[in-house]
Amino acid sequence: MRAFLIVLSLMLFSASSAAAQDPTPTTVPEMWNSWCARCHGKDGTGKLPDRPVTVEPMDFTQCSLTTPEGDSDWEAVISHGGPAAGLSSQMPGFGDFLKPEQVSEFVSFIRGFCKEKGWPTGNLNLPRPMFAEKAFPENEFILAPVVSHKPDEPVGVAFASIYERRIGKRAQLEAVFPIESVDPGEERNSGVGDVEVGLKFALTPSVSNHLFTVGFDVSMPTGSESKGLGGGQFVFEPYLATATTIGSQTYLQTQFKLELPENESWRDHAFVYNIYLGRDLKLSPSTFTFGFEINGENEEVAVTPQLRKGLSRTGALAGAVGVRLPINHRDEQGVTWVGYLLWEYLEPVRSRR
Amino acid sequence: MRVGGSIIGVVKTKATPNAPIRASIDPKICGESVPDESVIVDAAGSLANVMVTVPGVKATQPAEAMFTNEKCRFVPHVALMRPGGMVKMTSKDATLHTMHAAAADGKAFFNVSLPIPNFSLSRPVDKAGVATLSCSTHTWMRAYLGVTDELTATSAADGKFRLDGVPAGTYQLRVWHEALKIAAAPKVVVKDGETVTIELVLTK
Repeated sequence: MRAFLIVLSLMLFSASSAAAQDPTPTTVPEMWNSWCARCHGKDGTGKLPDRPVTVEPMDFTQCSLTTPEGDSDWEAVISHGGPAAGLSSQMPGFGDFLKPEQVSEFVSFIRGFCKEKGWPTGNLNLPRPMFAEKAFPENEFILAPVVSHKPDEPVGVAFASIYERRIGKRAQLEAVFPIESVDPGEERNSGVGDVEVGLKFALTPSVSNHLFTVGFDVSMPTGSESKGLGGGQFVFEPYLATATTIGSQTYLQTQFKLELPENESWRDHAFVYNIYLGRDLKLSPSTFTFGFEINGENEEVAVTPQLRKGLSRTGALAGAVGVRLPINHRDEQGVTWVGYLLWEYLEPVRSRR
Repeated sequence: MRVGGSIIGVVKTKATPNAPIRASIDPKICGESVPDESVIVDAAGSLANVMVTVPGVKATQPAEAMFTNEKCRFVPHVALMRPGGMVKMTSKDATLHTMHAAAADGKAFFNVSLPIPNFSLSRPVDKAGVATLSCSTHTWMRAYLGVTDELTATSAADGKFRLDGVPAGTYQLRVWHEALKIAAAPKVVVKDGETVTIELVLTK
């Protein structure tokens, strides 16, 4: 109502000059056609022969570009301009003019250029926990160092390279290549550990604040069992991963997994759980995220406080550190320092636009 | 005797104004063409919008600079402001204008929208230097903001400028123009109570 009155009064004040001009747009579609379409095109493709900006705008009809990020990123760009999310400064901010609900309406309008159904909402693309598998399919490359120490045992060191590739709307392939250095008692052995490959599939892409994903990982006996670098057999690992938003900056991510070794009976399976609660310090891709994870295998319980930070303004680079502290079975679990450095490798393509 | 002296001068050039720019959009608002204001020179060759600075001499510049978008031009074309001052902007045009302020290295201070007539905004600029103001939708629009705490004057339409309260001493003046250059920085000797008169000549 207030916006309407402002617009009405401005129209009255400038009636003489406005008489020869187009009426001031009042609805989001009208504003899009009058203002945004100059660079982004009425169809949202940004493909214009004479657009005034030098950067190529993102093609909003490409669902793979418009769905992976959360509403807060879009709202920041609409309100404060492109640099708010690491994009071009040629995108101006409209936050002084638009009310917050109009900004939200713009986000819905822009997302509407993606006509395909079945793409999970970017609001559930949550910061990666240290242990729980993300429910949201990603395009990321991750380097993850792990330093573990058990009482009366030498320190073990592992370094995993993880490649994740989204397939279509809802699936993701994953490959984990670990390098390990362990000392099982007599001498330190270093080499390749057990390589893992996995596939996951989002089950509930149309739900706005929950995402359920099923996945299946296979750990292969590529590491030397005799040197303590591998398990010596295939392990099949079906799991369920979930993502849930609690407000705009807090979220819950869980993973429940069975580990089924190839040469052991069903009764010898392990049940692994990871329950993560995280909170962003602010609505920005480069914000700090504080997380707390409860995890363990079977009756084991451990807690993993962790801190994550977006290292670029787009959030395409991020790093995290944490420490897994055993609550019970302390000797068997030991203390494990964990971290990761991730690169969302398709993000630079998005950033240029 | 008055402490400090004055520098008065006029800026000249043989350069001629550029032809008007064809307005590629919004002809009802902008007109078919808009004047190219990169070289504003009168019949006598007097050049406007030249910033002349006495380096090292502190001076209090305005706390704010006001720009208006009017018929798809920024008015004024050049203004001065102190670091940390506020850029105030408004639009008289019934079209989407933006004010994109960037430092000399291209880094943006801000880019904000002025989508309707009589809508006003203000933003601070902290960094000293000459900021370029442009509009993301009307690509020909340019204005310049000298952000400085040094003694600076801008040449008027008749090319004249005046710098008062200059401490006695020898100075190599800093001269800025958006399109033209001076061959060598002019050196002036200022004495207490005296006025030095100079002529600056800018070329392409």
